[in-house]
Amino acid sequence: MEYDDLLNMGTELGYQLMFSGAEIYRVEESVFRLLTAYGLQPQVFAIPNCLIVSLNTPQGHPITRMRRIPTHGTDIELLERCNDLCRRLCREVPPVEQAKELIDGLSKNKRQYSTRVLLFGYVVAAAFFAAFFNGSLLDGVSAGICGLGVGVWMLYLGGKLGFNGFFQTLIGAAIASLLALVLTKVGVGQNVDAITIGTLMVLVPGMALTNAMREIMAGDIISGVNRTAEAILTAAAISLGVVISLAIGM
Amino acid sequence: MELIQELFLPCLWGMIACIGFGLVFNIQGAGILICGLGGALGWFIYLVAQRLLGGDILPAFLAAVGIAIYSEVMARIRRCPVTGYLQVALLPLVPGAGIYNAMRYCVAGETNQFISTLLHTFGMAASLAVGAMLASTVLRTLLPRLSREKKKH
Repeated sequence: MEYDDLLNMGTELGYQLMFSGAEIYRVEESVFRLLTAYGLQPQVFAIPNCLIVSLNTPQGHPITRMRRIPTHGTDIELLERCNDLCRRLCREVPPVEQAKELIDGLSKNKRQYSTRVLLFGYVVAAAFFAAFFNGSLLDGVSAGICGLGVGVWMLYLGGKLGFNGFFQTLIGAAIASLLALVLTKVGVGQNVDAITIGTLMVLVPGMALTNAMREIMAGDIISGVNRTAEAILTAAAISLGVVISLAIGM
Repeated sequence: MELIQELFLPCLWGMIACIGFGLVFNIQGAGILICGLGGALGWFIYLVAQRLLGGDILPAFLAAVGIAIYSEVMARIRRCPVTGYLQVALLPLVPGAGIYNAMRYCVAGETNQFISTLLHTFGMAASLAVGAMLASTVLRTLLPRLSREKKKH
């Protein structure tokens, strides 16, 4: 059945978009446009961890597919590729098999920084955010070391141990603040607050909160509230982690 | 000299920090520099607006408008979705420290300070979101018309 294939194709594109961290309205609009380009009248509904696509065949038979979206980060490269492909498919409308192959090829052979470069990103972000929050040069260096610790935990250990997001963030924050305390005690760093906040910027959900507000403005209230709750929960995990290591430091 | 230290250095640090975040978000090629510049631009607007107007909600709003215009234009030029540029460039402004401090007060049991810091953080996030959405919406209606008129001439 061609309609089944079309539905699967649209859902897969939406799934990839969600997985790359796209906004809800972008996901809904992309899937809608893609299926409309193939002459269908789809209904698309997405919330942060679920995507539902439904359509009626010309015989009047309704078919629906739902996909759950697992926990994911942000992958702008994947997002740009999905967006390009969606525009191309809407413009050219190639046969379904060909389009399906293109969509399946999205997550393969895409450019991806190696884990070492990601680790370097954590170090740079932490070090310069510490400088940004009025830290001195030495504070930047210590924040870089803390960022390295958090990066190693988030990229290598935490993910492999299969911890859930809350505890992963909690332990990451505890590592960051403990390292900051130790480095100031030793005499490398001077301004504990700048080091801690600079390092925690890589964990802190400020961006999640701003994105949540943008979802609400765009009219996706459920997603917005969902993300706001997530941001507050992450912030709670971070402060618990910091409190734990402050208690250890005392 | 003082001006350089207070205005330009923070922008430079913010820019490099944004580039570091760009790596974490897997932004490839020239996009990562565009994000960094956007971050620096936003923080510059914020600092200047803060000197002229005071407070921090209104400067954050203006900075978000500036960043959104910059990101939309860059997204048009590079034919990419605006999401990545906007998210990374907003990072220096994003109220990470606010939400962290709020939860620290909450854990310490200082309810009054917790509520006021939390509300202020929500205010910052909302003003950033409103600024970014406002500029994006206006540009999305304006830009296609402008480019169409250019083609006519």
